[in-house]
Parts: sequence; C-alpha cells; structure tokens
Amino acid sequence: MNELFKLLLLTLFSVILIAFYSCKKDEPIPDENPSEKSGKLIFKFNHVIDGQNIDYDTIKYVNEAGNKYGVNVIQYFVTDVTLHKSGGTSMMIDDWTDFAYVDTDIPTTLTWEVFDPIPIGNYDSITFTLGFNEVKNQSFMFVNPPEVNMVWPVYLGGGYHYLKINTKWIDTTGLARGCAWHLGIGQTYDSSGIVNGFIQNYFTVGLPNSSFEITENNTKEIQIVMNVENWFKNPNTYNFDDFGGDIMQTQAAMILGCENGHDVFTIGYIQ
Amino acid sequence: MKNLKYFLILIGFIVLISACKKDEPTEPAEDTPFKATPYVFDIPNHFPTIMNIPEDNPMTVEGVELGRYLFYDGRLAGREDEGLYMSCGTCHLQEYSFENGVGFGHGLPDSNGYSKPSPHVMLPMINLVWNHEGYLWNGMISKNNTNLGSAGYGVPAEPQFHMRNIESLVWMGIAAAHEMNSTVDASVNAIKNISIYPPMFEAAFGTPEINYDRIAKAIAQFIRTLVASDSKAHKVFRGDENFSDSERRGFNLFVTEQGADCFHCHGSEGAPLFTTHLFYNNAKDSFFSGIYDDPRDRYHITGNPTDLGAYKATTLINIEKTGPYMHDGRFKTLDDVINFYNSGLKWSPYADPLMHKLVPPYGNGAELTPFQIADLKAFLLTLTDEAFLTNPDFAKPAGLQY
Repeated sequence: MNELFKLLLLTLFSVILIAFYSCKKDEPIPDENPSEKSGKLIFKFNHVIDGQNIDYDTIKYVNEAGNKYGVNVIQYFVTDVTLHKSGGTSMMIDDWTDFAYVDTDIPTTLTWEVFDPIPIGNYDSITFTLGFNEVKNQSFMFVNPPEVNMVWPVYLGGGYHYLKINTKWIDTTGLARGCAWHLGIGQTYDSSGIVNGFIQNYFTVGLPNSSFEITENNTKEIQIVMNVENWFKNPNTYNFDDFGGDIMQTQAAMILGCENGHDVFTIGYIQ
Repeated sequence: MKNLKYFLILIGFIVLISACKKDEPTEPAEDTPFKATPYVFDIPNHFPTIMNIPEDNPMTVEGVELGRYLFYDGRLAGREDEGLYMSCGTCHLQEYSFENGVGFGHGLPDSNGYSKPSPHVMLPMINLVWNHEGYLWNGMISKNNTNLGSAGYGVPAEPQFHMRNIESLVWMGIAAAHEMNSTVDASVNAIKNISIYPPMFEAAFGTPEINYDRIAKAIAQFIRTLVASDSKAHKVFRGDENFSDSERRGFNLFVTEQGADCFHCHGSEGAPLFTTHLFYNNAKDSFFSGIYDDPRDRYHITGNPTDLGAYKATTLINIEKTGPYMHDGRFKTLDDVINFYNSGLKWSPYADPLMHKLVPPYGNGAELTPFQIADLKAFLLTLTDEAFLTNPDFAKPAGLQY
C-alpha cells in the first residue's frame, strides 16, 4: 500500500510538472538587444532649382549649358541609406521594403518615416544609393503603382528607372521640346544595333554636413534637398541640344548625369 | 498493481491533453449579420495586388451575379412602358472589350425623338478594379475629385457620389441624356417589378429590398470582375508561349525610346495592365485656348493648363477590338493610330514631355520604317485576349430576354 501511495504521488507530481511547462503560453521573442536604446528617423524630400522651390511646368530656368528649361515631374528611388559613425562603423537602414520612392506629383512620398529603430548615438554622415544596385534591381518586384510605373524594360537591362525627370527645354528652333531625362541601367550595342551588354549606372550619394544625434525615444527629422540644376553641371556640362529628348538608350548621356549626381543632394535641415 | 500503473499513466495523459487545450473563440452570437459568399480574385502573374474596391461594397459571388443580370437587363432604363430598352450591355459589348465597336454612342430618345450622341467614344471596360486614377477620359469620377456632388458641378450630391467610383458611373449611365436618358426612380421601379430580382437581392445583400444603392453596387461588383490577362503577350511574359520574330521585334520597338516608346504610358512586361491609367496630352492637336476646347479634357478637372488636351492613356489590351481610337474616335483603324505616332504628331506647348518624339516646330513622330511598323502592329495584335472576349462568366445570362 505504501508503495502504491508513493507511485500515485510520483505520477501526480510528474503530470503536474509536465503540464505546467508544456502549457506555458507563447511569449513574444525578446529583442536581440533589449538594452539597446533607440529613436526614430524621418526624411523629408525637397526639390529646388537655384536655391528656390521649383515652379513646375514653367520653362524659366537656365542650366550651365545655357538651355532654358522647366520641370514637369521628378520621380526616383533612394535605397541603401547608410548612417556612418566615426571609427568606420555604419548602419544600413536595411529593411528591404523600406526603400524610399519619391514623386513630386504625390505629396505623401515626400516624407519617409523610417521603419527601423535607430540606435541612439552620434552619426557622422549619411550616404545612399540613387536607384537600386544590381542585386536589388529585379524586374517584377513591384506590381502596384506608383512604383510599377518606374519599370525599366528587360530588353534594356530590366529592373526600374533610378530617376525620371520629365522636362522641357527650348531647343534650337526656339520652341519647347519634351525630354524624358531618365537614368537607369545602360546598354552596349553591337554593330547592328542589338543590345549585347549592360552597364550598372547606380551610384552612391554622400550627403555633406549630415552629422546628427539620435536620442532615446525621440525622432530626428532630416530634410534632403535635390538641387536639380546640379544634374546638368560639375564635372560635365550637360546640353539638352546634344542628346535630344530621350537618353535611356544613350549611355554617353546617362553617364554625364550620373557623374554629375555626386553633389545634387544636400541637407536642408536636421531637427 | 500493473493495471493501476497503466491507469495512472492514462489519467496523466488526459490531464495533459485537457490542460493544453487551446483557448477556443467564443461562440458567435445567434444574430450573426448576413454574410454572402466572398468573391475571391485570382490575381494574374505580375498584376497589381492593390485593388480599388470600396470598403462599403465588398465583392461577393451573389453580388457579382446580380450585377451581371442588371448589367445586361434592358429594363434597367425604366422605359419599358415606351417600348424602350437599354442596359449597360446594350453598348458595352463583350466582343469589343466592352466598348461598342462603332465609336460615339447615342442615348435613348427624349420625348421629341432626339437621341443625344455621347461626348466621347467609349473606353474599354476591363481591368478597372486596378484603376486608382479616376474613371472616364478625364478622370472625373475619382476619390480625389472633391467637387463631385457639390452644387453647380453638374452632378447631384447623391446618389453614389460619396463613393466616387464605378458605383457613381452607374448613376451616370441611367441619368445621362446620351445614355439611358432616364431617372433613378424609374430604373428602381422597373427592377422592383421583375420577379427574379427580389431573391437575388436577398442573396446578395441579405434582404429582398431593391434600391438604387444596391443596384449600383451590384453592377459595380460585376464590372470589377472583368479581368483580361490572358493575351498571347501575357502568356509570353509568363513563359507559356513565344513571340514570333516579328512580334519580338515589335515588342522591342514598343519598349525602347529609340523605337516607338509606347511603354512609358502604356506599360510593358513589368506593368502588364498596359496603361498607367494616367493622363497625357499625346500631341493630337496643335491649338488649345482653354476656352473653346473640349470641356471634358483633363484640364477641366484639374484647372492646370498643362492638362489642356490631356486624356487617360487607355489600356492596350484588346486594342485590336476597341476602335475607333482616341477620345473623339478620330482614328478609325489601328494602322491610323500607328501612322499618327509615327509621323503625325502635332506640336503644341501642352504636349506631355514624354512625347519626346514631338520635334518643333511641326511635330513628326517615331519615324519607323514600313517593316518596323509591321512589327509593331504584330506585337500590338498579341495583346488580344480571346478568352476574355468569349468568357461566359462575362456574357449576358442565358435566360435574360431584354
């Protein structure tokens, strides 16, 4: 009897123990670094010509080459935004869906509230890629507008436009002519005009004077300004009359724009 | 003793299983709201995933079927007592991608026997569930058009203009002089008197009540199911078929700026609706005053002078079937359209910048050779979706007489 009582007690104890542990509720996975404190980051995008907000659809600006021009719309992708710290460490805002599509016709795209929490601390500078690098620039990755309307045909390299500036300039006839000033993957052609290779034209933009501090549970707002006139100067003086109204199959034109792109973006404010 | 051991182990398992039973959802209340069968979209490869379906008009199987009947029922016009019948399907013909195949339409006659012509030719009524940029050639029916329903804008505050969507177009179809030329009340009364409908409304909306709101919602649901995605071009993009050499060359012309550059406004393999649904002045005309021009262009919606002479870029799916072309039907054939873009552009300061082949002072165009024109046309013909044009799900219900 004593043995039976012991067995009964042992069994009940085991059952209770197993039941207790096996029925433990699902708990949220704790953060990898629960002690890491963070804040948030918001980017605002602004677009100017000669320091002034753009008067769209009006041909009243003059570029370095002397072309009188105006801007209809600007659309582009900002990716691989990287926050650099002194000592060589850096943090890429790496949530894949967290790229920025900027479209001057769609006001909501002019603000990018970064999803990732940003660890607190001092950051020395910001860099980003204009467009997508060759790994990320995959055809069919967007199916919905407005991003899908940035498609770059597979025949010309695929993926998506890095940048569209739909513009008009006064050509040699003295009348306005449209220009699809678009940057993306370049091509090489054989002697019969058939595409036989591609050139990745994306480039890294470094933002001068972009140091900032993230403090715990606070949001830092950074305005990134596109100085449109700089697309057409330094180091290359871009003349619309040289290349006409379309450039996505003219690598010689696109490379001028890409080389000029290094100082197109500046910081408007950090607050 | 041995049996007792097994007994205790059994008790242990029972306790374990009972203890680990998941929390069950609470029983639904007895007065569960009416639920029709949700309509499930099978989104084709690379087509958009975000659809323009109003929150207060979810798609249901029963709603779509009711909508199909109403779409094709000539008694919807409410003018049966005059011996006059007109439905949406009278002019929006499946075989022409839900256009009429002839150009301008004419409304039912007024009391003087006058049939008013439509101000524009039709747009194809396909893939509209993915249109977020407004309906009609100028995008007037749009969630962004806050003028809709305001006094003096020419359309009433209600019915349906709170939705600013396909539902609103149903009102237009009934009331406009160039369409059914009737009234909502006459339309609703006509439908109320047809015995097949009360059970169908009950199946779709939970009660047999027939009113304009439900009529519009059901028809809109049906229209949203009109998906064309199975042309030869789409099959090629999916890897199921191959282009001929001519079609392939034509497609390359379609997507290249130094070719015909159609793709910026009309899509490509990566944008398979073959339209952006946006608005462009495509260099058809050289003179715009803003006063004497078409009062139904995009400018008259936005007030932006750069929108003078701008109209919605139509989808090119089934383009072979949707002539005559442009908002005013000025081009009778697809050849006319290609010739226009090849050499007939007309310069104006309002032409869209994407019309970069427009060379001042006159116009010009893509300047393709005759062989290239033939290739481009060969590709355009691959955009015909024959399965859509004959799909019985989109056809007039067999038992419907009128």
